[in-house]
Amino acid sequence: MTNTSKYDVVIVGSGISGAIVAYQLGLAGKKVLILESGPTVPADRSGYMETFYKANAKTPESPYPPATQGAVPSSANNPLGLPNPAGENIPRYTVLQVGAWQKKDQCYFDYPAQVEGIDGTSLNANFAFASSYERLGGGTTWHWLGTCLRLFPEDFKMKTLYGQGEDWPGGDAFYQSLVPFYETAAKEIGVSGDKDAMEKLYRQFYVNPEGIYGSDYNFPMPGIDQTLQDELYAGITDMTYEGNPVYVTPTPQGRNSRPDERRQCAGNTNCIPICPIQAKYDATVTLARAEQTGNVEIRYQHVACNIRLDDKQQVCGIDYLTYDQPNGIATGSGTAVAERYVLAAHAIETPKLLLMSNKNPGFENGVANSSDQVGRNLMDHVMYLGWGLAKDPIFPYRGPLSTSGIESLRDGAFRKDRSAYRIEIGNEGWQWAADDPGTTLADFVFGQNNSQLNGNSKNKQGEELRFNPQLPAFSKLFGKQLVNTLNGVYTRQLRLGYLIEQLPDPENRVQLSTTLKDNLGLPRPHVTYRLASDYERKAFVSAKELTTELFAKVGATEYTKDPGAPVFSGKPEELTATNFQYKDDKGVTHNFRFYGAGHIVGTYRMGDSKETSVLNARQQSWDHNNLYMVGSGVFPTIATGNPTLTIAALAFQAAGHILEDLSA
Amino acid sequence: MDIMSTFVGLSSVLTGFAQDILAPRLDTTNIKTLYLQSWTENITQETGDAGLVNTILQQYAELQAAGKSDEEIGEQLMNGNNSPAFVLACQKLIFLWYMGAWPDVNAQPGTETGGFTTSSLLSAESYTSGLVWQVMQAHPMGDSNYRYGYWAEQPPALSDFTGN
Repeated sequence: MTNTSKYDVVIVGSGISGAIVAYQLGLAGKKVLILESGPTVPADRSGYMETFYKANAKTPESPYPPATQGAVPSSANNPLGLPNPAGENIPRYTVLQVGAWQKKDQCYFDYPAQVEGIDGTSLNANFAFASSYERLGGGTTWHWLGTCLRLFPEDFKMKTLYGQGEDWPGGDAFYQSLVPFYETAAKEIGVSGDKDAMEKLYRQFYVNPEGIYGSDYNFPMPGIDQTLQDELYAGITDMTYEGNPVYVTPTPQGRNSRPDERRQCAGNTNCIPICPIQAKYDATVTLARAEQTGNVEIRYQHVACNIRLDDKQQVCGIDYLTYDQPNGIATGSGTAVAERYVLAAHAIETPKLLLMSNKNPGFENGVANSSDQVGRNLMDHVMYLGWGLAKDPIFPYRGPLSTSGIESLRDGAFRKDRSAYRIEIGNEGWQWAADDPGTTLADFVFGQNNSQLNGNSKNKQGEELRFNPQLPAFSKLFGKQLVNTLNGVYTRQLRLGYLIEQLPDPENRVQLSTTLKDNLGLPRPHVTYRLASDYERKAFVSAKELTTELFAKVGATEYTKDPGAPVFSGKPEELTATNFQYKDDKGVTHNFRFYGAGHIVGTYRMGDSKETSVLNARQQSWDHNNLYMVGSGVFPTIATGNPTLTIAALAFQAAGHILEDLSA
Repeated sequence: MDIMSTFVGLSSVLTGFAQDILAPRLDTTNIKTLYLQSWTENITQETGDAGLVNTILQQYAELQAAGKSDEEIGEQLMNGNNSPAFVLACQKLIFLWYMGAWPDVNAQPGTETGGFTTSSLLSAESYTSGLVWQVMQAHPMGDSNYRYGYWAEQPPALSDFTGN
C-alpha cells in the first residue's frame, strides 16, 4: 500500500469540474493528486477518430475506450456486439445500452424489472436512463455539444415561485454569488457568443443585463456564424405561444469562432461524438493548464473504490485499485491521502463511490449519506424530438451541430403546471431523429418507407408524406433520379429538440446492484428511473403542439413519427425502454418516446439543510467537512439550460471555498 | 475494357455520379478496389451464384459497347428482364457506394415500411468516401475540408459534387 500524504488535495475524476478545481488549486501553489479511473489523454486524437469512423453506430461514446460496439461477435441477441460489463475494469453506460436495458450481459446498469399489470399511461412505469458519460482523461466533455447558456435567476427558486421542485440554497443569493463565476467559466472555456442577442433574452425575463454581464463585459469571442437553417427560424418575428413570445437566439458556444490556442471551428458537424480538430473546448485543455502549474499530478487507471473516515468523521484517505489492461486483472492498490478531498466523478460514479464506502462506523449507508440523499434525485433533460422537411433547401449536415435555439419559453407562469423547456435547433438533419442518411437511402434504393418519404404515410395533420407524389410508393431508384431525390430530401431536413425540465424525484436514484459487478469486483449501479408526475408529460404535449405550429409557421412539412405505444410486459427483449403514453385533458392519448440530453444531474445535491441534502451551499459535505463534491450532481434542479457552463462556474466557486479552508 | 473500368462504368450508371468522381485520376484512397472485391465476395456468398457479378458486368459492357446512353443502360439493367437477384445485387452496389457499408435487406412487402435495412461499414475510408455526403452537398460528418463560416453560405452546385 502506498502512502501519498504529500498532497494538499486529492480529486477523484479529471473531467471539467475536477480539472478546474485542480487548476485553481495548482495556481495557488497547492499540491494536488487526481485519481482518474480511465486511460490517459492521448497525444493526438487520430486514434479516437479512426474508431469513430469505423463505428457502425455513431453514438456519443463511439470514439472512446473501452470499445462500445464490435467488442464481441455480432449475434441475434447482440447485433452490435456490445461488451459484457462484467468483464470490464471501467465499464460505463452508453446509449447503445438503452435498448438493451434488460440485458444484464450488455447493460452496465442494473435496472428493476418492469412493474406488472400497468398500462401505457402509468406513472409507475420504469424506464431506461437515456444519457451517458465517459471514463477517461478529460471526462464527458470529449463528447459534449458545447452549449454555454447561463441559467436564469428563476431557475434557482422554482419552489418559491412555482411550488415545484426545489430552490437552490439561498435562491436569489445563490444566483447572485454565481454570476462572477459564470464569467470566469466562460473565459476558461473560451465561449463564442453574441452579447446583444443574449441581452434581448435577459430583458424578456426582467433581468437587467448590466447585472448579468456588466457594461464592459463581452464574450471571449464573437458569436459563431448562424446556419441557413437558423435563418429560416430567425424569420419568425411575430409568434407567441401561450402568450409568450417565440423567437430564436444564437447560442453561446464553447467552440472557437476565431483561432487562438485552439483552432477555429471548421464545421465538421461532429461536436458529438468528437471534434476532429479540437475547435470545441474539452476539459483536456484545463487539465493541461492544471499540470503546467507544476503542482498537479494525475494518475490514470486508478479506480477510486472506498473512502476512509477517521474517528472524527473526517475523510482520511481514498482507496484505489489499479489495472493495466481494460479487461485484465487488478495490478495493484493503494490509498491516496491529503488534507482535503474532492469527488468529481460525475453523477453516476460519484454516488456509487459514496455508497460503496460503507465500512465506516456510523456511515454504513455510505459516506456523506446521513441524509439518505446520496444517489437520489437523478435527473436529465428528457427530450422530445420533432422533425420535418423545409419547403426550400436549408442545407443541413453543415456547421456545428447546433448554433441557435429558442430560449424564450424557458420561464413563465406555466411552470406551476408543466415543465419549461428550451428548444435546440439541430443542424444534423434527421441523423438523430431518424438515423439518417442511411434510412432515407435504404428506402429509395430498396423500396422501403422507414423515413415515411417513400410510401403511403401521412402525418398527424393528415398530410401525405411521399416526397415525390409523381413516383409510386416503394419506388426503387437509381442514377439521376436517385441523386435528385436524395438531394431534395437531405438538403431540406429540419430537427427540433426540446430539453424538458425534469423535476427532482427522490425515487429516481442510483443504488448499488446487489448481484452485478464489474471486472474489478466493484458493484455496478442499480438505477431506478421514472417520469412519475404529469408535470413533464404535459410538457411533451406542449412540445408536440408547438412543433406543429413552428413547422407550419416556416412552411415546412412535419415528419415527426409516432413512436407507438409502450410495451411494458412480455419477453425482456421486447420491452420498450423510453416509450410512454399521456392522456391529455381533452381525453386524447399521445404516444411519446423520450430521448436523453446527456445531462446527468442530481444524486448529491446541495441544500439548506443537512436532513435533505448531501452538500451545503459551499459544495461541502454536511457530514465530513474536509470532503467536497463538484459537477452536475450538486444541482438541486436541472433547470432550463445545458449544464456544463454552470458545472464549470460552480467548480470555480468550490475551488475558492477549498482554498479558503486550506488557509484557515 | 478491363474489369475495373467496367465496374466503374456500371457504378456510375447506378449511382448517378460521374466516373471521375468515383475513380479520380489521382485516386489515393482507391475505394473502388475495396468495393469491387467486397461486392463480388458478398454477392457470391449471399446468392451462391459465382457468376452473377460477371453477368452484371458483362451486360453493362455490352450495352455500353452498343452505344446506349447511361439512362438506357440503367433502365435495361434495373427494369428490364433481369432476375430479382441481379437487380438486388445492383441495388446493393448502389448502397455500398453511398454509405461505404454492406447492407442486410429485410424486405417485408405489403407492410407499412416494406421492411428495414441494417448495414456494416467496410472501413474508416469507406465511411468518409460515402456518396451520401456528396449528394447532400455537405461533407462526411467528422471529416470536413471546409473553412469557418462556410455553413452560412449556399454550398457549391450539386453538379460540382456529382460530376454530372
